[in-house]
Amino acid sequence: MTANLNTIRATIESRLATELASSPAIPVVFNNVSYAPTPNSSWVQCLLSFGANEYLSQGLTTDSQNRIVGVIVINIFTPAGVGSGANYTIGKRIRDLYNRVIVSGVYFDAPIGPEVVGTPAPEGYFQTQVRVTFEFIEEL
Amino acid sequence: MATIRGEQGTVQFDAAGTTNATIVGTRSWSLTITKETLDTSVHGDTFRSFVGSMVSGSGTVELVYDPDATGQAGFIEDVVTVNDPADATFELFTTGTTTDTDSVSFAGIITDMEITSTVGELVIVSCSFITSGTITSNLE
Repeated sequence: MTANLNTIRATIESRLATELASSPAIPVVFNNVSYAPTPNSSWVQCLLSFGANEYLSQGLTTDSQNRIVGVIVINIFTPAGVGSGANYTIGKRIRDLYNRVIVSGVYFDAPIGPEVVGTPAPEGYFQTQVRVTFEFIEEL
Repeated sequence: MATIRGEQGTVQFDAAGTTNATIVGTRSWSLTITKETLDTSVHGDTFRSFVGSMVSGSGTVELVYDPDATGQAGFIEDVVTVNDPADATFELFTTGTTTDTDSVSFAGIITDMEITSTVGELVIVSCSFITSGTITSNLE
């Protein structure tokens, strides 16, 4: 069965959406979704991207496998000027969500971060970033 | 002229030597065929001369381990066959899966199996084999 990248995307994003919908709920915005953050609030941006594919086994279009890899970049925004605790609390929730987890055939690696972003974008927030690489084995 | 890439290849195998079937998840294979030589030089010769003698082969098959993949278990576990009568049959294809086409076939014995599990990497199985009896080459 060839991989449906949109299904993989949904698997990854729904996991984050479900977690951040639980108390305390944090707004989360995904690729190509407009969002106007409320000043002095916390929110999360999730950017998912697929990367290189590579041959895994012999066999061309039948009885063969490819490795599909990708990365999730999650930006965590919390109010500026009030310390980093709230940000890292959200970061732990996100990190625990993916750390070495296997869901629906998607293998998540150990997360990177939260790393402080020196120049927040948009400005006016304290921003950290969590990055998680993942891979999926496509079976043809 | 048509060059060939490794992903076009396939390994087929049957431990009982009845009907070969594709081993799904094969990453690579190799085969070395060796012909022994006999020295036929005689007294007075100033250059050595030889005739070809016994032909034998050996090689390896590397798998991306998947306990549910068709053909893998029978192949991997053939190494523990005791009093092995060399009844297993192999056909190594450079391209396609058409019997006796672009392939080398033979009966053989799996002499070595190594399975490697490393954090963050796919589990890999490597098997070594030797041929027994006639080697049929259809690499033309």
